[in-house]
Amino acid sequence: MNLHKNKMKSIIESLLFVWGEPLSLQDISKITNIKNKEISKLLDEMIEYYNNSPDRGILIKEYNHKYQFTTKKENFNYVQSLFQTNERKSLSNAALETISIIAYKQPVSKVEIESIRGVKCSYIIRSLIDKGLIKEVGKLDKPGKPSVYGTTDDFLRHFGLKSIDELPEANLENYEEGEEKIT
Amino acid sequence: MEYFVNLDRFQGPFDLLFYLIEKNEVDISDIPISEITKQYLNYLDKMREFNMNVTSEFVLMASTLLEIKSKMLLPVVVEQEDPRQNLINQLIEYKLFKQAAEELKEKEEDQSLYITKPKEDISIQEKLDNEQLILNEINVYDLLNIFKNLMKDNIIEEVNHNEVKLFRENYNVQDCVNDLLEKIKEFKKLSLFSIIKSTMKREYIVVVFLSILELSKMKDIKIFQNNVFSDINIVYCTKG
Repeated sequence: MNLHKNKMKSIIESLLFVWGEPLSLQDISKITNIKNKEISKLLDEMIEYYNNSPDRGILIKEYNHKYQFTTKKENFNYVQSLFQTNERKSLSNAALETISIIAYKQPVSKVEIESIRGVKCSYIIRSLIDKGLIKEVGKLDKPGKPSVYGTTDDFLRHFGLKSIDELPEANLENYEEGEEKIT
Repeated sequence: MEYFVNLDRFQGPFDLLFYLIEKNEVDISDIPISEITKQYLNYLDKMREFNMNVTSEFVLMASTLLEIKSKMLLPVVVEQEDPRQNLINQLIEYKLFKQAAEELKEKEEDQSLYITKPKEDISIQEKLDNEQLILNEINVYDLLNIFKNLMKDNIIEEVNHNEVKLFRENYNVQDCVNDLLEKIKEFKKLSLFSIIKSTMKREYIVVVFLSILELSKMKDIKIFQNNVFSDINIVYCTKG
């Protein structure tokens, strides 16, 4: 039984290595013919193993039930010296403000975002869509059928969140307090 | 009053208002509207002075502030809502998302320390998985490999280094192109292995290859190969 388990882990490791991008539980399950639940358990064990092995330089990160190999944070300075350029893909403050409104209030329309920020957001919304961090998730049944936006799996990956529930919660509480004040 | 602030850092009128409230250390729910309005308008003047584009949103906020200020100057006859209330609500909401944005920025910075590897190029495997016969368009290098293979099969004549033989050019590409084109028009599809026979001379094989390339360049034919080192199919293209 243990042998079998190790073999399964070894297969999952190979799959994650080749795929590079986050690989979904369903895909692994389809390939290996093992139930989602069991794979999820195996992956949890693997994640723990990598986290607790000081002699390993990689670990597995989870985003919305998709799994991906990454390097360890502690090794960043060494890994960085391999890079040709020092280009960090961080978002502008305007983009961060916009995406945080979308993340907490999704699905949310452009008009709502603009009324909170007090400035026009068309360009920023467009560029966030191009970056794959947000997407149109529907249309409001209002004149002009305005689009509403929500975050994508790439959003979770960009900010290192397992799921949308992992967004810093303190703010949401504050937000409700804020609303109470409003009424 | 002097300002040492990078003005374009403000994301919008709320951001600027927020900065002023914090700088003056006043309570957000009890904004000294007269003072804040004065400072806000000063800022707009400074922005214009630096030739910055004062967008309509900043101007709108200025007029909102002035409206609130004037309302507050009027004597209260009937009990009514604080004229600042709407603005305060908006500011509180904005503040929450500004804080959320800062927290997300931290998350983003942390996440950027985890490096990932791009996906392997597994397009070939993906195609093999698909059991359908897919004709891959081949490139010049594939042609080169096939050519090398064919050349290897032919016995290479021993070369006498002291003596240089000069041959008259027995074949020319133009003739071969015409020949091939006729054949292809007739059969629609030709296999390269069927054209090139082991009895052919090296020079002729070269000419055949050049002709195929020439025909391909003229877009008269398309060349397909299913697998590396396998036969190459030449298909006639009917021009629209």
